[in-house]
Amino acid sequence: MKYVCQICGYIYDEDKEAVPFEQLPDDWKCPLCGAMKSDFKAEAPAVEKAYVPTHTETADLKKLSAGQLAAVCSNLARGCEKQYKAEESKLFNELANYFTAITPAVNDATVEKVAKLLQEDIEDYPHIRDVADNGKDRGAARVCVWGEKVTRMLSSLVNRYLEEGEQMLADTDIWVCTVCGFVYIGQEPPELCPVCKVPPYKFEKIERGA
Amino acid sequence: MELKAVRNLRLCTKDCLCLYVCPYGATDTEDSIIDISKCVGCGICAQACPSGAISMVPTEYPPQQNKRDDVISVLNHLAQSKSDGEVTARQIAASTDKTGLKRLMTAVAKSQRLMEEDIEREGGFMLPQSGNTHELLMELIENPPTSDFPKDAAEKIMELVPNNEENY
Repeated sequence: MKYVCQICGYIYDEDKEAVPFEQLPDDWKCPLCGAMKSDFKAEAPAVEKAYVPTHTETADLKKLSAGQLAAVCSNLARGCEKQYKAEESKLFNELANYFTAITPAVNDATVEKVAKLLQEDIEDYPHIRDVADNGKDRGAARVCVWGEKVTRMLSSLVNRYLEEGEQMLADTDIWVCTVCGFVYIGQEPPELCPVCKVPPYKFEKIERGA
Repeated sequence: MELKAVRNLRLCTKDCLCLYVCPYGATDTEDSIIDISKCVGCGICAQACPSGAISMVPTEYPPQQNKRDDVISVLNHLAQSKSDGEVTARQIAASTDKTGLKRLMTAVAKSQRLMEEDIEREGGFMLPQSGNTHELLMELIENPPTSDFPKDAAEKIMELVPNNEENY
């Protein structure tokens, strides 16, 4: 039997390993991305799925929220940076900061709420992928591939924090891939981002006391 | 297509061949950034560079790909959820005294924003030069969300980054 990491795709092949998957200790981690044992699933045969259109979906560009506009503008700032347009990038960041500042606060800022939102996103991805595939939009499909993995990792880490508390992070650093958002717990960043494959220098360390 | 040379400082190993081959001295600057006002786009520096640190980028970009309404709609819905997650995590990070939680929530907020940016990029805002971007900036200038909206910044962007879909 083969077990696949739902985050980075690492395969634990029992035929090639000494220990059957079920007998691995509970604190065993994915050797590639550090995901928990519970993030692995037994390899299942591919199933043909049918696209079910939902007719309530209509684009309304005029109704982007302040939070979304913050991301639209910080994304365009990145776009300018990649085109070596430093001044334009700075101006888009000014707009992004404005929208971040006017985004309304939430009343119930709890770790449980963060976990719930992540779980909802995980459940949402297959449908978004269907819509992307149906529209032959490979860029949107790529967003689903990366986003689902990153979201699963966040969900896994937040749930672990809810169980283990502060001791989970006492002696270790937290790293964020500045390209795809993958979060990694460890002393050093991974050799290669397990999701988007960029080198370690693209990882940012979350500083203590910052 | 007009091209300009740009140097990736992370790849540059200071072999300095670009300095020797540029007929206009565009590569010889105090901050190592190629002076595009001098660059004529001949590409000799990019060919000569042994570390592949110089690339030729166009001054005008082609229009971005059209997006279907249903794709934009589902991406928008996801973007809003990422935004809610980002705001929630940032609020926790700002108010907690627990150092581990503070770092974890800071990481979650950053990660959510990065995913959200990626969603917006594929949801119709890939290029700052796009018609979409210009339409949005125009709308914000005409109907600012609040009185302290940085209108000058939006106007300056429209002036610096021309709309590349006007003639299509």
